[in-house]
Amino acid sequence: MDSLKGIEEAIVKGRMDEVKLLTRQALEQKIPVNDILNTGLIKGLETVGKLFESQQIFVPELLMAGMAMKDALSILKPIMEKSDIPPVGKVVIGTVEGDVHDIGKNIVSMIFVGSGFQVTDLGIDVSAQKFVDTVEKEKPDVLALSCLYTPTRLAMNDVMRLLKERNVRNDVKVIIGGAPIDQNYANMIGADGYAPDPPSGVKKVMGWLGK
Amino acid sequence: MKEDRIFQERRARINELRAKNERLTCRERALMSVKHQEPDRVPIDNWMVPEIQKKTMEYFGCDSYNELLDFLGVDFRNNYGPSYVGQSFKKHPDGTVEDLWGVKRKTVVYGKGTAHQGSYSEVAESPLEKIQTLEEIKKYDHWASPEWWDYSKVKADCQLYHPRYCVINVGDRMDRTAQLKPMMYLRGIQQIFIDMVMNPAVVEFIRDRIIEYFVTYNHRVFSAVEGEIDIFMMGDDIGGQTGPLLSLDMWRRYFKQGFKTYIEIAHTYGIPVMYHTCGDVRQFIPDFIECGLDILQSLQPRATNMDIKKLKEEFGKDITFQGAMDIQQVLPLGKPEDVKAMAKYALDSAKKGGGYIICTAHNIQVDTPIENVVALFETYHEHGNY
Repeated sequence: MDSLKGIEEAIVKGRMDEVKLLTRQALEQKIPVNDILNTGLIKGLETVGKLFESQQIFVPELLMAGMAMKDALSILKPIMEKSDIPPVGKVVIGTVEGDVHDIGKNIVSMIFVGSGFQVTDLGIDVSAQKFVDTVEKEKPDVLALSCLYTPTRLAMNDVMRLLKERNVRNDVKVIIGGAPIDQNYANMIGADGYAPDPPSGVKKVMGWLGK
Repeated sequence: MKEDRIFQERRARINELRAKNERLTCRERALMSVKHQEPDRVPIDNWMVPEIQKKTMEYFGCDSYNELLDFLGVDFRNNYGPSYVGQSFKKHPDGTVEDLWGVKRKTVVYGKGTAHQGSYSEVAESPLEKIQTLEEIKKYDHWASPEWWDYSKVKADCQLYHPRYCVINVGDRMDRTAQLKPMMYLRGIQQIFIDMVMNPAVVEFIRDRIIEYFVTYNHRVFSAVEGEIDIFMMGDDIGGQTGPLLSLDMWRRYFKQGFKTYIEIAHTYGIPVMYHTCGDVRQFIPDFIECGLDILQSLQPRATNMDIKKLKEEFGKDITFQGAMDIQQVLPLGKPEDVKAMAKYALDSAKKGGGYIICTAHNIQVDTPIENVVALFETYHEHGNY
């Protein structure tokens, strides 16, 4: 179990090379992939989330932790696929139309990948049509929408409307985030939830999926 | 100014309150407050996106933005600095245009086809983002030069507003004196954050090129204006909604010295300094004060730890605050009563002893109803008097 503890610590410190090394070691020690994921990576993410929330770490450290998780997953992924271990869930993510800011969205995306999700990242300035087309095509468990400006958050409402119009609203959970977003806004547009930061967003989604 | 009855009625409340409250010029009022003295009323600054400027001008029957500022009792006028006379900015076939630093920018439209349509100039591509080594970054040949500006007209531009108004040298939103922001444009936000952890030498090299430029540029601006700038504004966003973007230790390591240098230059010319950052920067304020900062713009009340009452109690004697009006929830989504309560709370909490300039935490955004803009300015005048 020491290597799992080591993975957790290396994630918290954002040490990418160490995370990769320890992940390989854990596999060599025949530690099951699910244990590496849940006891190593996800525990690391939980600690990172607490440190971020309590202002002990900040965006650069969160970014490094996200990158470290993503790297570890790149080692685990071929084995998961070979052993028919399904992804934790499927997520479609993007920054809404009229907004080109993506640092927050990118960190969320990395952490989803690093937590074992299958992620389709549509990038920035994504139209409602493109989000809903992708939801219809890929049938994700969760649609995650991001924005920075208050006027661009209105585009989130356009996505919600189109999901309803195309009768897919009940097929997907919607989580929203970004500087001008709060629970009140999520309620206003009928999103399923909001998160103030990337780790808590991923945690909320895992809760929805019973993970 | 349109004199139809409807406009006269709409302007009546603000006109009446101003007539009752005001005894000083805008400049006297603003500079007294920055010196922590109580003027006749709390000075008012104003940031609006162009679409809201237009809507508010139409509502009050003003024929120009300056006429609107005059009517609203806005005490500050912005000076955007010298005129650019360098090579014309390179235009690319994809519609992007290079800026001073060789960063490709584009206009991004939001709310297409709706009543809330607007646009912002954004970075389309960061030229140093994909470069792997410091040696390659050193070969970059598009660092901005202070030689590309004609400084001869700034003084006259500022004089247009004197002696009545308080002139802030603000610079352009994307070219304003800063350290981290141009680094983000040049290197990409994500990559510069990674560099701060992994490649300190890259951070320091890019930062030093930026500081060199702004040091010379600002010396030239300040000496050219010969005392006609009242406040120098710089800006560098280091705060996020729920906390600083970077740790205080990291800021001290990379940015504190440059921050102090910028302030010292302005002080050499006797000019007070206003610094803009969004977000929660509560834990940085003692360092800002130590570096000699005069005015912190613009308190974002929706961010954690940025309640004006607490900040005024803790730091109010050492620094002037600007801002505290929420553009994220109250102005776009609240009712006029909510707007009034917010403005009254800030004025009641911060006006005592001067050292407070009331303003929105950022531009009033395009999704804000006009009745909330009206409530905001009426409350400024209703509760801002001393």
